[in-house]
Amino acid sequence: ILNNNSLSNNGHQDYVVFQRSTEGFPKGTLDRSIAAKLKLEHFYKVTLEQAIERNQRRQELEAKLENDPCSDDRRNRQFQSLGRKESQFLRLRRTRLGLDDFNTVKVIGKGAFGEVRLVQKSDTGKIYAMKTLRKADMFKKDQLAHVKAERDVLAESDSPWVVQLFYSFQDSQYLYLIMEFLPGGDLMTMLIKYDTFSEDVTRFYIAECVLAIEAIHKLGFIHRDIKPDNILIDQNGHIKLSDFGLSTGFHKTHDSAYYQRLLDGSLNGASGGGHRQLPSEHDINLTLSSKDRIATWRKNRRALAYSTVGTPDYIAPEIFLQKGYSQECDWWSLGAIMFECLVGYPPFCSENAHETYRKIINWRDQLYFPDDVHLSPEAEDLIRRLICAPEQRLGRSHGGEEIKCHPFFAGVNWDTIRSIAAPFVPVLKSITDTSYFPTEDLDKIPEQPPISDHSQFNQKDLAFVGYTFKRFDDLTRKNAL
Amino acid sequence: GAKNTSSSRPLFLSPPFVNASLVKGSFKTIVVLPKYVDEDEWLAVNVFEFFNYLNLFYGSVTDFCTTNNCPSMSAGPGKSAKLSAPTYIDYVMTWIQNLLNDEATFPTKAGRDFPSDFRQTVKQIFKQSFRVFAHIYHNHYDKILHLCEEGHFNSLFAHFISFAKEFNLLDKKEMAPLEELIEVMEMNGHFS
Ligand SMILES: Nc1ncnc2c1ncn2[C@@H]1O[C@H](COP(=O)(O)OP(=O)(O)OP(=O)(O)O)[C@@H](O)[C@H]1O
Repeated sequence: ILNNNSLSNNGHQDYVVFQRSTEGFPKGTLDRSIAAKLKLEHFYKVTLEQAIERNQRRQELEAKLENDPCSDDRRNRQFQSLGRKESQFLRLRRTRLGLDDFNTVKVIGKGAFGEVRLVQKSDTGKIYAMKTLRKADMFKKDQLAHVKAERDVLAESDSPWVVQLFYSFQDSQYLYLIMEFLPGGDLMTMLIKYDTFSEDVTRFYIAECVLAIEAIHKLGFIHRDIKPDNILIDQNGHIKLSDFGLSTGFHKTHDSAYYQRLLDGSLNGASGGGHRQLPSEHDINLTLSSKDRIATWRKNRRALAYSTVGTPDYIAPEIFLQKGYSQECDWWSLGAIMFECLVGYPPFCSENAHETYRKIINWRDQLYFPDDVHLSPEAEDLIRRLICAPEQRLGRSHGGEEIKCHPFFAGVNWDTIRSIAAPFVPVLKSITDTSYFPTEDLDKIPEQPPISDHSQFNQKDLAFVGYTFKRFDDLTRKNAL
Repeated sequence: GAKNTSSSRPLFLSPPFVNASLVKGSFKTIVVLPKYVDEDEWLAVNVFEFFNYLNLFYGSVTDFCTTNNCPSMSAGPGKSAKLSAPTYIDYVMTWIQNLLNDEATFPTKAGRDFPSDFRQTVKQIFKQSFRVFAHIYHNHYDKILHLCEEGHFNSLFAHFISFAKEFNLLDKKEMAPLEELIEVMEMNGHFS
């Protein structure tokens, strides 16, 4: 049949030796072939996982009903109900979700690569937060595989401390993530509103953060960019970490070349993005009172959150010194956030990002507790045990456990904290209440994300194979207040 | 020396390719109707996936499936239709795609039911999909090998046949063009 196909006698079987070569094959063919193989591999992986999970759900129900002295009738109804849910879940796999399945209620947030909108799914009426990520921006970063892996871990984690992801879809320009909507806003907004927290309130948020960070560390994940903007508040006033695994990896703040330029100061001139646009008369220096300093910080805080550069204020020095870092870098960030909760601004805030970096690197000389703010010795000690050299940092050897034992947390019940009453519980008028979001700052952003053409995906989409995630829980969850 | 029988045997029936597979073992566990699940819903999602992946793999050899190379649709020796293969396959795939997108045939909205003749439609789709598989096996398998796709493609096909057997979606004579391959897959334990 083929000239290049020779035969050899291999044991008792005839093995055909086929000289493989894709020389002269069109590039499109090769690309399509790679995509087809990747997608099929992903398909079998997911199909097997889903079959196992489906079995587990059935076995759990069977086991539950076995010990339950209910009537056969009731039992059958329960099984039928499970079957309906499973069938619905299968239907979801055929359902191509797209932008037109969701109506925007309001723009509620802005991140480095796109916006976050409160949306309603048209057919079910359920409410979600939808995050858009511009693919083009993300491709500049060479970290897709790693980001995808992280996303998988988080998406499947089911942790009460991490915002849940329900669906994702894409078109030629954007990735869309449909997440649970946390109506309470974020810790940054709360800090802008209250300036500072009492030690009791701080204890609550920092303690919950300890558990949240511990949870992601146990999943083998390092956040690297914990900041008040990423700490979201649910309807009961408890915290969850925003779905960072999806985007943090793309961040400029994780680009080592970017750090280098920042440290060299070369980003400060031409590229205004890295600049905090503080008028010079507001120059922060140590002669300002803490109150002035809080005011200045607050005034610029949101612009900082919206800039594509992000804020470096909470990042541990070892991260941008590029000497390697490990989980304890997140505990530094927690120390910086705790400082901000009690003092009103983060410990190294300055006029511009470059200055902040400089201060963080020289933290030994730069960590300064203002005289006009009173901190308990326990609080100050905890901050100093977190904002310190990585080798000495609390949490370094025994993770969250080590931090939980610190005297600042005396009296905290770690097992029940998520179920006790939170210090601020959002008061909501409806499931679409956005009063905890600074929506007036965002009114220039179009309600609907720009429609990009739905033509065939290009080569780059390979990187997003499997980026379509649908969650079984979504069907069981009661998504109403 | 080589045995004579080997040279007349198509590549897809020759070892080691005939035994290549991405998924080891039997497809039974992912093919049988899960307990309590609606059968139409199960058929629908599987048809949907088979179509998508068949389409992807046909896409990877489509540059070689031209009116020149494949002037008539053949799915094995003897059988051929008047249309060229690319025209025929394009017609078939478009027809399936349109059915899948048709809310009346393949409902996706909550609360919508399947039509009463749904099973018949599924059988038609299986029959036509089989022809596309057969055309690729008989006419483009060398390309599948050059692209190192044989494990993937074999598994997809074995899965497809396993599903068809479970729900009686293909007649014996419809499967004739790849009978021998199916026998090998049976012997390799992919169906039970
Ligand atoms: N699930 C959600 N529910 C409610 N609000 C959200 C949700 N996700 C994000 N937000 C709001 O949108 C803002 C920006 O989102 P996010 O921090 O995820 O974007 P980002 O800055 O691009 O992300 P990151 O810096 O973590 O990569 C948040 O500070 C928060 O106010």
